[in-house]
Amino acid sequence: MQRNAYHRRQRATAAILALGLAGLVGVVGGPSPAPVAAAGEPLVGIVCSTGPTFHLETDADYIALPDGNTAYMYGYKPAGGAFQHPGPVLCVQEGDTVTVTLTNTLPRDVSIMFPGQENVLADGQPAQPQFSTPGDLTTLTSLTNVATANGGTVTYQFVASHPGTFLYESGTDPEVQVRMGLFGALIVRPAMGADYAYNRADSRFTTEANSAAANNTEEFLVLLSEIDPFLNQAVENRDRNGASSNFNLDNYHPRYWLVNGRGFPDSIADNYASWLPNQPYGALAEVTPSDDPALPSVGHPFGGMARYINVGTENYPFHPHGNNGKVIGRDGHPLEGPGSEDLSYEKFAINIGPGQTYDVLFRWYDAEHYHPVSNPVPVEVPQVANQTFGMFYSGSPYLGVVGPQPPGNQSLNQCGEYYIISHNHALYQITSWGVNMTGPITYMRIDPTAGSSCP
Amino acid sequence: MTSASDEPARLGRRQLLRYAGGAAVFVAGAGATARYVRPFAAGQVEADSHLSQITQDHYMFLGGTDGWIGLPPTPPTPIHPDTMAADKGIGLTTYIFGFRNITELDAPQRALQKEKAQHSAPLFWVNQFDPNDVSTEFVVDIENLGLAVRPDLFDEHSLHWHGFRNVIPFFDGEPTGSVAVPPGTVFRYVYRPREEGTYMYHCHVEDVEHVHMGMNGLVFVRPLQNSNMSLYPSGKYLYNDGDGSTGYDREFALHLSEIWNESHWADAHIQLPEWSDYKVDFALINGRTYPDSVAPAAPFPDGWGEGPTGTVVDSGGAPWTKPYMPVKTDVDGVLVASPGYEHLQYQPATALVRCMAGERVALRFSNLGFKEAAMTVDALDMRVVGRDATPMRGRDGTDTSYRTHTLNIGAGESFDVIVDAPPFSGGTGSSGLGYDMYLLYNRSFMRANNLAPGGFGGQATEIRVYPTSANIPVQTVPNT
Repeated sequence: MQRNAYHRRQRATAAILALGLAGLVGVVGGPSPAPVAAAGEPLVGIVCSTGPTFHLETDADYIALPDGNTAYMYGYKPAGGAFQHPGPVLCVQEGDTVTVTLTNTLPRDVSIMFPGQENVLADGQPAQPQFSTPGDLTTLTSLTNVATANGGTVTYQFVASHPGTFLYESGTDPEVQVRMGLFGALIVRPAMGADYAYNRADSRFTTEANSAAANNTEEFLVLLSEIDPFLNQAVENRDRNGASSNFNLDNYHPRYWLVNGRGFPDSIADNYASWLPNQPYGALAEVTPSDDPALPSVGHPFGGMARYINVGTENYPFHPHGNNGKVIGRDGHPLEGPGSEDLSYEKFAINIGPGQTYDVLFRWYDAEHYHPVSNPVPVEVPQVANQTFGMFYSGSPYLGVVGPQPPGNQSLNQCGEYYIISHNHALYQITSWGVNMTGPITYMRIDPTAGSSCP
Repeated sequence: MTSASDEPARLGRRQLLRYAGGAAVFVAGAGATARYVRPFAAGQVEADSHLSQITQDHYMFLGGTDGWIGLPPTPPTPIHPDTMAADKGIGLTTYIFGFRNITELDAPQRALQKEKAQHSAPLFWVNQFDPNDVSTEFVVDIENLGLAVRPDLFDEHSLHWHGFRNVIPFFDGEPTGSVAVPPGTVFRYVYRPREEGTYMYHCHVEDVEHVHMGMNGLVFVRPLQNSNMSLYPSGKYLYNDGDGSTGYDREFALHLSEIWNESHWADAHIQLPEWSDYKVDFALINGRTYPDSVAPAAPFPDGWGEGPTGTVVDSGGAPWTKPYMPVKTDVDGVLVASPGYEHLQYQPATALVRCMAGERVALRFSNLGFKEAAMTVDALDMRVVGRDATPMRGRDGTDTSYRTHTLNIGAGESFDVIVDAPPFSGGTGSSGLGYDMYLLYNRSFMRANNLAPGGFGGQATEIRVYPTSANIPVQTVPNT
């Protein structure tokens, strides 16, 4: 299995932003290991592990949380590779025969469920729920065939017959193991092409192949999860110290909520940020303005694509500011009627149920086309002293313009780019056990188009 | 206090507004000068220049501050009712942050609204932007009035119009990617609402806290199709449907929010709550729990009342045309309670739905609580014609509307539904009071009670269907 820089231009100078953030997230920084990104990895957007044959291995290690805490986690990782949370994003083609071999290093049985995939085989036989005493329904031990503790192996195989976004997760003791981090995303690309979500012409999104101006792939993952640190601590205590678990799952109470395995502001750091060695996936969405449907084309005819997955145990209402999401698929099925009628719908709050996936198109452009000379905002901008600047604000209402900053202000804005937030709107969940305005928050970074000084 | 010398100026301005509506006066300037000058300085005593520039039906002035509301006082706990509210003497229980509509107040009155916030935030509505008429853009000023109970805080405020599409960060109100409004200053937002439907708005500064503390409300956009009587006789629609399917006779805005007592008490007593302990103690509609939710709205301003040709008219019969609820204020600009409902002085909006048999009733729901609500009405179908300010149509026009009796409304979602009022049952109706009563309530029962033993309440209200002989006047203002 190899990682593939999927259609993504490189932005080496984005390290500037990363350096700027390093101070901000200093509370979670420990020793700084070397970056683990392989050459050619995208710094933002989806990092695909391409198949269709994968060899995954379980492992356990720690992740950093926005309040300075760490959590002991389980994870799936590429066999022989470094621990990571969440597991690799598995990307396959519609019609592929997908083979996933799991080697289990943990001191407990582990498995993989593939919700939404049909006729999954385990070691060549139909995958089945496991009972310690066959025929006795009170002895269910796993929802599917396992790789046994301390070195066992199992190989799953299925045909990826539906394009879309899927979850894979442990089927063994899932109320513990999934919450411990044994999950990841599976993307099945349609026969119609890698710049389509489904085999529908209206499911196309921006890639460098179809966007003359952007040279960008605007495809993003929004994988939402939660952590009760007492559960993780109990598991750690058992694994490392041999203590018997005293965690009562009836008392499960999440204190952290994450996006792509990170909490804000780590969430918007680059993929493979050096200070997050075990949390490789950023959640920043970086785009350039797309064509306004009401105006002539400027060479960016399609919008972006966000693949939402909820790994938690209650609905997460995710709210992208600035532009709505058009939900075109759910759970690996396009929203269409029996005659291919379009049943998609637009949302400003995308309310995702546990285990659900939503495929969402979005399109950012300034509806008013404000410009400092030809079309200024219809208000006089208050003097700097009468505004409080956000750390991502350029000092100007206009895209690509850097305005005056308050004395001593340390802006993280590089070139007048816009930052528009996207966050869970169950707002008590954008906290990290006492630290507000963290958790599942991410941003869409909108780079100016031609003529800008943006890196 | 307002000095006597301010009085003539205020009356004069009101007279001016009443007769000058319609003409937008833009400030001319050299070069790239803004159409609207920067707002006047906060607290500045001047001739309210903000109003002279803008057509009155396209303008809203909001003040952000703190205040107190009255929720059911039982069962008492160490943190509820808040002991700091006891000396208010009118049944107030709970500290809030909130907005106030200060559009018609002069500068001294505005300054007196500190610690006089309301909940929910003032309902306002906007006409869809007409691309051929730039004067149809909508202007909102926000003045940060400061927090009276927490002078140690210097919290900014902002206006985030939740769901507004393709807006630049400068007008989005999210303070990290743009700017926020420090205490003692005014910021001006300009909107061109190009898509009709039901939205919501809230302060986005420290929004875990500020939203929950009460700085949240509903705003909706009326479609350009309105006044076309050929598709539906009333000429009122939820969307530009082209076929009258979203036409209605009466509309009601129902905004859902929640109260977690501990966080409100903590803010008043200089403490910090642990937000992951969040729970809902009181679930509200339009800032009230049932049965307060069906109590009368705050009184109309002096000179305005219900009339034969419209529910809110002045003494000359002219209908209310401003884009927000008509609410009476006293000489200091403070809200006035309906007699007998003094504890609701700062919760002026009612959630009562009143209609006649055979009418089409539009209900606009928005939810800025943190939990999903299951709003249920037994024995009546709700036809869902819009969600999140989007008509239920696929990109190819496929009708995706549906009927249900329960709406699962997640945090930050809106629903637009139409209810066909059924025939009247006869006599004095199912209530014995002259109307048929249909309860509209949160089927998540824990949020349809007031914490009191056996008490139904919380996020609930009534739909009252009267016989056509009741002759309820044509509706000119929502929620009347």
